[in-house]
Amino acid sequence: MPELHEKTQTGAPLTVKDLNTENPRWCVGCGDFGILMGFKRFLVEEQLLPHETVNVSGIGCSGRVPFYVNTYGVHAIHGRPITIAMGLALTRPDLKLFVHAGDGDALSIGGNHLLHGIHKNFNCVFILYDNQLYALTKSQSSPTTRKGHPTNTQPKGTELEPIAPIRFALGIGASFVAATADWLPDHMVNTLKAAYAHKGFSFVHVLQRCPHFDPENFDNKSSAWFSFLTHEKGIPADKRLAGKTEAIRHDPSDHEAAFKFANSNHTCFGLFYSNPDKPCYDDMMRQRIASAKPLPRAGILDSYKI
Amino acid sequence: MQSKTVNNVRVGRFELLMDAGFGAQKAGDILIRAFARMGKYVFIEPTIPAEISPPPRTRPALSGVIIRVAEFDLENIGNNTDVILASHEVVLDRRLDDEEHNPNCRVLLDMGDKDLPTAEYDRVVKRVKDSGLQFFPFEIIPEAQAVIKSLAGKARNMYYIGMLACIYNAPEGFVINEIKLTFGAKLREDVFKKNIDLFHYGYQFAKDNVPFGYEIKNASGKNGHEKILIDGNSALSMGIIESGIKLVSGYPITPASSILHTLAKVFPSFGGTVHQAEDEISAIGTAIGSYYGGVPALTCTSGPGLSLKQEFIGYATAAEIPIIIIDVQRSGPSTGMPTKTEQSDLLPVIYGSHGDSAKIVFAVHDIIDCFYAPILARYLAEKLRLPVFIMSDFQMANSYKVLDKPRICEMEDSDKIPDFVLEHFGLGRLPETIEMVRTEQAAPGTPEKMRRVTGLNTDETGKVNYFSKASQRSHAVRNEKVHCVQRALKKPELFGGREEGDVLIVGWGSAKGAVEEAVSYCQNAGLAVGGMCLRFVNPLPPMLKEIFSRFKKVVTVELAYGDPYKHPPLAMILRAETLADVQPIICRVTGRPMTPRTIETKVKELFHAGVA
Repeated sequence: MPELHEKTQTGAPLTVKDLNTENPRWCVGCGDFGILMGFKRFLVEEQLLPHETVNVSGIGCSGRVPFYVNTYGVHAIHGRPITIAMGLALTRPDLKLFVHAGDGDALSIGGNHLLHGIHKNFNCVFILYDNQLYALTKSQSSPTTRKGHPTNTQPKGTELEPIAPIRFALGIGASFVAATADWLPDHMVNTLKAAYAHKGFSFVHVLQRCPHFDPENFDNKSSAWFSFLTHEKGIPADKRLAGKTEAIRHDPSDHEAAFKFANSNHTCFGLFYSNPDKPCYDDMMRQRIASAKPLPRAGILDSYKI
Repeated sequence: MQSKTVNNVRVGRFELLMDAGFGAQKAGDILIRAFARMGKYVFIEPTIPAEISPPPRTRPALSGVIIRVAEFDLENIGNNTDVILASHEVVLDRRLDDEEHNPNCRVLLDMGDKDLPTAEYDRVVKRVKDSGLQFFPFEIIPEAQAVIKSLAGKARNMYYIGMLACIYNAPEGFVINEIKLTFGAKLREDVFKKNIDLFHYGYQFAKDNVPFGYEIKNASGKNGHEKILIDGNSALSMGIIESGIKLVSGYPITPASSILHTLAKVFPSFGGTVHQAEDEISAIGTAIGSYYGGVPALTCTSGPGLSLKQEFIGYATAAEIPIIIIDVQRSGPSTGMPTKTEQSDLLPVIYGSHGDSAKIVFAVHDIIDCFYAPILARYLAEKLRLPVFIMSDFQMANSYKVLDKPRICEMEDSDKIPDFVLEHFGLGRLPETIEMVRTEQAAPGTPEKMRRVTGLNTDETGKVNYFSKASQRSHAVRNEKVHCVQRALKKPELFGGREEGDVLIVGWGSAKGAVEEAVSYCQNAGLAVGGMCLRFVNPLPPMLKEIFSRFKKVVTVELAYGDPYKHPPLAMILRAETLADVQPIICRVTGRPMTPRTIETKVKELFHAGVA
């Protein structure tokens, strides 16, 4: 901490080291390490001031992220980080808001809030950590668990087809929808930068490996099973895989094409959709105050006088 | 015209009963505004159906107003009704079931449409006569009928206002002025004129045909204070602005919604935001988020919403984020009776949320308390970084009364809460520094103070800590915050100044007006009866055990269920706190407010039975 003190005093640039706190209590090989590192790199590249940054999370493995980044943070209750972020967005527009939620947190217990967060389009970056099951509670089926995958609550294989988060977000009318993966560090940083640059509810879907409970899920050694959506208004393909993995040119303002990719069984990373013109609810509420005729508090009872 | 008997009284109570959607509430509103402007003290309690437009001429359609008028300040809706004016026999029959009328109550019944089957009508008339009430059937005069017909059956409430204004000797000009203020800008000129005509017809009709009237002195101007006429939820809403709260986050729920409605119209002019959340959980989460950011926020709710918010309430306790919750209690369990009053949330509020969840809970006594409560709540929430509950109820939320205009303090910094607000609630100033679980409590935006809050247990540095000593310490620190409020609580007022005696009546929250009046009845009857009404229910004032020891018997009056095998909530917490054998004398859940007379009757029964 004293180190940081000196730095902000002298205006020295923020480094990843400044953002470190304690060693994360995650399993070896957990995808959350990759996301955490990508997130810190993004904060450094953008030089966001730690005291003006707030990470809000729910419950689950990803819920611990705020503890591991030396900014302000709220580790909320299960499913509800968006509601907390909403309050900060309404009253503290000066802060940089990041919401971290797992697939169970965001799409199961907190599904209603995600729906309305997207709909209200309040200004924040929303990061969905999708490891496709409940991990901290020891392997139960989540809304994104693939059909047939056995878990402790559905040992003969998960019964339902999974929810497709990208399709959900597009369907609700999200103003920004992007996807990346924990093992694509360069792509992740660029995705977060694009999400941060967007004004509104930036929905970022991150595939996250869970080697402890589902080691076979995402084959991070191969890149044959996915493509990058690229465009000059979008997010470039991961540097490491450029040229090796298919890149599909996709204009992120094309909502119909975005749906086509979201509906396909083929996995795509990159910017699906972006609409910078969608109004933000938090701005509207502040505008309501700005346009109201200010009244003195001393007169609040005048209309009740007899 | 037969000769008129004019009764000179200090206080009276009447009711207007109609079908929902025909303007009984509006009529009551106009009448009491006129009375208030004349200089009378009024207290009005609306009877509202839970549905918007139940079928007319059915029992659920009853929509009405109960109005108490007096030459002295009123703190409750009183006992029994002197005059009932009912638009038809079905609503009258339904209301008589509540048994809130005087034995010699005068019943004015609009006989209405003769084409309807008369069997039901005859039965109700027989019921009225058999129960010894004075029965005055009437018909709206043909000229007025024609006007009502031309208004598609609406506006008969104007005729009834005319009759009631005449019966209570309100000058026509006062009432017409209020009709103008209510409808003047909204109605077409010809429609407005028809409304006024109907008022005149009703007034004249009563003048010529109703053989009784009441005269109550206009005395509210005597103390020289400016007066306001306001309901509980509006007073809370204005108090929220007054307290400096900047965000009110809620979800539609009866009877708390009107706080959102009232604020939505005016809050932006005072720099505030009304946020309608997607559900009750989100509503409190957003208020907590705002308060974490250092901006005072509040959520308001009722019954089912309270249940939904419980997890976040415990979170605020653990994470040490201030939060204010208004619970406008309604009848439960589950959806219960949304438009009926009850005090059954006491235990779920005090003990709600899993684990040991420390919090502060205080209730409002009356409408002036509603205005000051948000100021006190903000002081406590920010000082202690705990959830603070303001307990109101349906009756308090919807009752209007005339009162002296309260002082305005325009609080910015909660540490500078004016002394008179603390004194009003019987609380001393809290210690300058109060220990927190976490030493650092800076709001985001403060350099070098970055911190993470969590519902997990932590040590004083804010690090997650599951070790035995850390958990024990966190609990002790949180509970000590509550204890320091207990130590600052002053002795509750003992009504009529009686400090010892045979019976002590104890109520909480909105029971105050009824308890105080009942105590005065009992003391006037020479009985050694005292009374008190608690505002703070968690923590309780520390001297209760000692006060209770000075009375032979301590009894509670509460609108919550109890029976010989089950103590109602207030009795339960008082027994636990004092080890006194506190027993309820009123623990009913009829949805109706308690009256001073019922309390007095129950106390006298104790004396007759020789238990006091």
